[in-house]
Formats: sequence, C-alpha cells, structure tokens
Amino acid sequence: MEFLTVALAVALPAMVSAFSQGWATTRAMDNMGRQPEAAGDIRSTLLVALAFMEALTLFAMIVAILIWTKV
Amino acid sequence: MIEALQHVIAHVLRYEVFRIGPVVITSTVVTTWVAMALLLGLVYLLTRRGFEERPRGAQAFLEIVVEFFYGMAEQFMGREGRKYAWLYGGLFIAILFLNYAWMIPGAIPPTSDLMTPVALAVVAVPMTWVCAVRKKGVKGWLRHFILPSVALLPLNILEQLVRIFSLSVRLFGNMFGEEMVTMTLGTMLPLFGPLPIMALGLIFGAVQAYVFSVLTVSYLAEMVQGH
Repeated sequence: MEFLTVALAVALPAMVSAFSQGWATTRAMDNMGRQPEAAGDIRSTLLVALAFMEALTLFAMIVAILIWTKV
Repeated sequence: MIEALQHVIAHVLRYEVFRIGPVVITSTVVTTWVAMALLLGLVYLLTRRGFEERPRGAQAFLEIVVEFFYGMAEQFMGREGRKYAWLYGGLFIAILFLNYAWMIPGAIPPTSDLMTPVALAVVAVPMTWVCAVRKKGVKGWLRHFILPSVALLPLNILEQLVRIFSLSVRLFGNMFGEEMVTMTLGTMLPLFGPLPIMALGLIFGAVQAYVFSVLTVSYLAEMVQGH
C-alpha cells in the first residue's frame, strides 16, 4: 500500500505533465513547419516552457521521496 | 529482487570518503574535484597555443562555444547580454561537466546530490541581483520589487526565493531520477538493461545544463532590463 502511494505520487503528475509537454511540443512543431524562419526562437522558448512543466513532476518526485523515506 | 530494489537508493546517495578533522569530504566533493581537474586541463590544452587572427583548430572550436553563449543571451536581452556571458556560460560549462562526471565508472554525478544544485542556484539568482545593482543602482534594484504595485512586495520576494528553489530542484530531480532509473534497471537486467537510459542521460545532461543557463539568462534579463 505504501509503495502504491509512492508510485502513484510520481506516476500521476508524470502522466499529466507528459500530456501537456506533448501538446506544447506538437504546437511548437506545427508552427516551426509553418514558419521555418522562426524555428530558432520557437525552439528556445519551447525548451524553457518544457522545463517549467518538468519542474512540477520533479516537485512531485521530491514529495514521493519524502513519503518513501518517511520524513 | 524486491530486497535488492529496496537498497537501490543507497547506491545513488553520497557517501563519506574521508574526513579532515571535523569536515567530512563526501563522494560529491571528490567527483567535483575530478571534474574541475578535467575542465582545467581541457582549458589549458585548448588555450595553450594562444589566439590568432585567423581561427583554426582549438580556437575555432572555442569561438563556436562563445558564439553559442552569445546567441543564447541575444534572444532575451539583445547585444547587452554578451556582457554577462561569464555568468551563464560558466554555469553551463560547470553543470555540463558535473553532469557528465556520470560517465566516470563508479562515480555518482555531483548534480544528483541536492547540495550541488542548491549551491549553484544560490549563487546564480543573487548574482542576477548584483548585475541589476551594478546597472541600475540599489534604488533601481529595490524599485523592481514594488512594481507594478507596493501590494505585490511579498509576492515579488517570494518569487525570488521560488526561483532558487525551482532552479535547484529541477537540476537535482532530473539527474537523480536518471540515476535512480539506471540503477533500478541495472539491478533488474544487469549489464545491457540500463544502456538506452544511459544514452538518454547523455542528452539530458546537456539539456539540463542548457535549461539552467537559459533560465538564468531570462531571470537576468528581467532583473537588468525589466521596468
């Protein structure tokens, strides 16, 4: 039960953030194809946006580790 | 196997190597020293021949690196960003080498110990304040906190603290997660199991270094040029 809690605490945020990252990347790629001259700008903005989404999963991972080690 | 998996976390945590008096020297510090030595040796080798008018060999490579750093800042703050290449460029190279210290057999990457990313972020974010003070003076820097209204002062201060937290946790989480997955796969399928994840780790190491320095640049742009 405890392991299930820890696993879900990482897995659910990971699912949501994977969906949202995929969505953001899809849009970025669409628009890179539409205007290739802006590809550089879009790519760097995309990387920063992905980093912010990634951070939420990582916060969840920290919480999961705290539950696991029973802090 | 469950038994073995429960002990995986013990293999990715820092351990004590030796101690000088009361000061404990952990594996993180030793690996950082090795990465520093490699970096210093590389810099010595690359700059040994001096610089010429027409770049070739090592100098051409160094110019590509510097151009990359300049390009990174120019998207956020224009040509002025070139002045701050020492900050985000240094962070990029340092984090890249600390991440790739993973490739040394038996070494735990220093960035997968929470203390290293926290140290880097605690330097990076206040350094953007220092740059803002040097550009706009103390008053200009303090004015930043009461804009757009005085009521937002607590939120603005909180934002700066959250920046330190999120910068460090992002780097730590990525490297630690990478290490954990590799270790778990290595326990379940020894030898070739973790190979794809390790290849992914090479990309992630570079991407995380890039993300850390790009975020530093964007914070810098907001502090130095905003308002």
